[in-house]
Amino acid sequence: MTAILQPGFWVFILTMSGIYGIFTLGLQVQYGVGGILNFGHVGMMALSSYTMAILVIAHGFNFWIAAASGVAVAALGGAFLGLTTLRLRGDYFSIVSIAFSEIVRYVIFNSDGLTGGAQGSLAIMPIGDAYPSYTDTWDTILYWIRDHLTPIFGEIADRDMAMGILVWITLGILLFIVSRVERTSWARVLRATREDDDVPSALGKNVFRFRLQAVIIGSIIGGIAGIYWALQVTLLSPDDFLTIVTFYAWMILILSGATKVKGLAIAAIFFGFLYGGTRFFTFWPFSFFDSSQRSYMRIMIIGIVLIVLMIRRPQGIFGKREEMVLE
Amino acid sequence: MAEFVQLLFNGLVAGSIFGMAALGISLVYSVLHLVNFAAGDFLTLGAFTTFYLVTSRHLPFVLAVILSMAIGVIVSLILEFILWRRLRRSGAGMLALFLVATGIAFILRQSISLTFGSDSRRFDLDQLTTYEFLGAQIARAQLIVLLCASIAITGIALFIKKSNIGKDMRAYADNASLAAVSGINVDRVIIATWTVSGAYGALAGVFQGTVQGQFTNGMGLDLLLSILAAVVLGTIGDAYGALIGGFVLGVVMELSTWDALAGGIPSTYKPVVAFTVLVIVLLFKPEGIFGVKARKI
Repeated sequence: MTAILQPGFWVFILTMSGIYGIFTLGLQVQYGVGGILNFGHVGMMALSSYTMAILVIAHGFNFWIAAASGVAVAALGGAFLGLTTLRLRGDYFSIVSIAFSEIVRYVIFNSDGLTGGAQGSLAIMPIGDAYPSYTDTWDTILYWIRDHLTPIFGEIADRDMAMGILVWITLGILLFIVSRVERTSWARVLRATREDDDVPSALGKNVFRFRLQAVIIGSIIGGIAGIYWALQVTLLSPDDFLTIVTFYAWMILILSGATKVKGLAIAAIFFGFLYGGTRFFTFWPFSFFDSSQRSYMRIMIIGIVLIVLMIRRPQGIFGKREEMVLE
Repeated sequence: MAEFVQLLFNGLVAGSIFGMAALGISLVYSVLHLVNFAAGDFLTLGAFTTFYLVTSRHLPFVLAVILSMAIGVIVSLILEFILWRRLRRSGAGMLALFLVATGIAFILRQSISLTFGSDSRRFDLDQLTTYEFLGAQIARAQLIVLLCASIAITGIALFIKKSNIGKDMRAYADNASLAAVSGINVDRVIIATWTVSGAYGALAGVFQGTVQGQFTNGMGLDLLLSILAAVVLGTIGDAYGALIGGFVLGVVMELSTWDALAGGIPSTYKPVVAFTVLVIVLLFKPEGIFGVKARKI
């Protein structure tokens, strides 16, 4: 119970919420605007974070170039997924997209020489003798911010708080950009393709190209989330990128009302608390269970929330019902 | 040659299990337009309930398997009555159905983990007896699985083809409103669909547990992707297609590890092979092997 009273706990929850918020924003562009059911979104996060880690650790790249390359690889991943399978029917696409992310994870898990395999980024062979870490450049920034926060917050100011602030600034900027983009004619065409292919094609719009662009933009945003994820966890593991992570994002997206950007931040915090907070449910009746059992229950609770939400309020907290029952 | 026979046999065994599980998913899709992402966890449920009934309740293995199939059916029907029926009536879209299925998968998997823990289990069966056939080692347990699965598959194929409910199922899948106005009992069709899916899911889980030797709470989830690949390969919603898709994938996945094929692919990449096959097929035939291009209205 005492953990909930610690400021560090709330900083942790907010940071994770922010990263999941960025991640979900990628899906928001794909589903909320384009109606594309992508269940392989976590693959983009895996691609960007591992690309970044490998370039920095094994090839000595500058962090910023490595991070940009990571995001670029995520965009390529989105382009590959879109080009091969976006012409398929919606339900086929969602199955194949899950497969895409699982294949990315399988390859990461089994390519020991390149990715460190099951042991994660700790086992990537470093270029020098140093202990492999990709966070050095980023830490300099975090410590600089912390030093400027200390006069305001005193003892509470630390690396994690600086990280949380940067994550939320990024989320804010991305939310602003996406809400602007959603008012462009590009988004209007995309929204039209969600309802029906024929009308936009009759107006001379290449439906496939619009969808492909949406998938790539969503993948870029997912890639950015991947970089933040890597920086937050400091050691990557293939298990960070299980398919379930995509469904966490779907839950946030549905909670926020898929077609509305404004609820996303609140929904992400709600999820962050549900996910991170239940770890600290050590009071009755949860005290009957040990910590591994509680971690099973955490995912059960997420499953229950998903089901109740879809039955009681499929439009989410902020959404409009008529935009959810289209299909 | 011996290795080829061995892999072909392994592939047929794996394929028969994929086929049974894929059949359930495909039937449910054809009747209810629902991709059952929880199907993998129904396999796990079947294997674990059988294990529990045999080791803790000391039931004979065959009886335990039959009871597990019944439990799979009961769980499927309970979900139909409390969830799916309600979602259908509220006109839920594809996304809602997907996410509810995923939610069920989470709850089911974690309940199994809570009850049985994360240790690996094994059935108390004779795993060691093998026969030699053309130089290959054919395990007796696997041979029995292949025979039983073949009987089960033939049985269900005949059931769908010949029985009245089977005909109703096909009619309803083909055109739901036409079937409903021609007096087909829709509720009976749906219950029959879940019954087949629940029973065959549990049975496939027991078979997979037997073939693997030992299994954990993640067994069904690990298989789900290959099963979904089989479903899509055989055209989603086509029951016979799912069976054939299962066999094709099982054999292709096993043969991909064959040394004679440029050294073969490491066996950990088998699920990747399944999906590479799927993506290649879909690129050339987006409607699946047996699919017909959708009519434009």
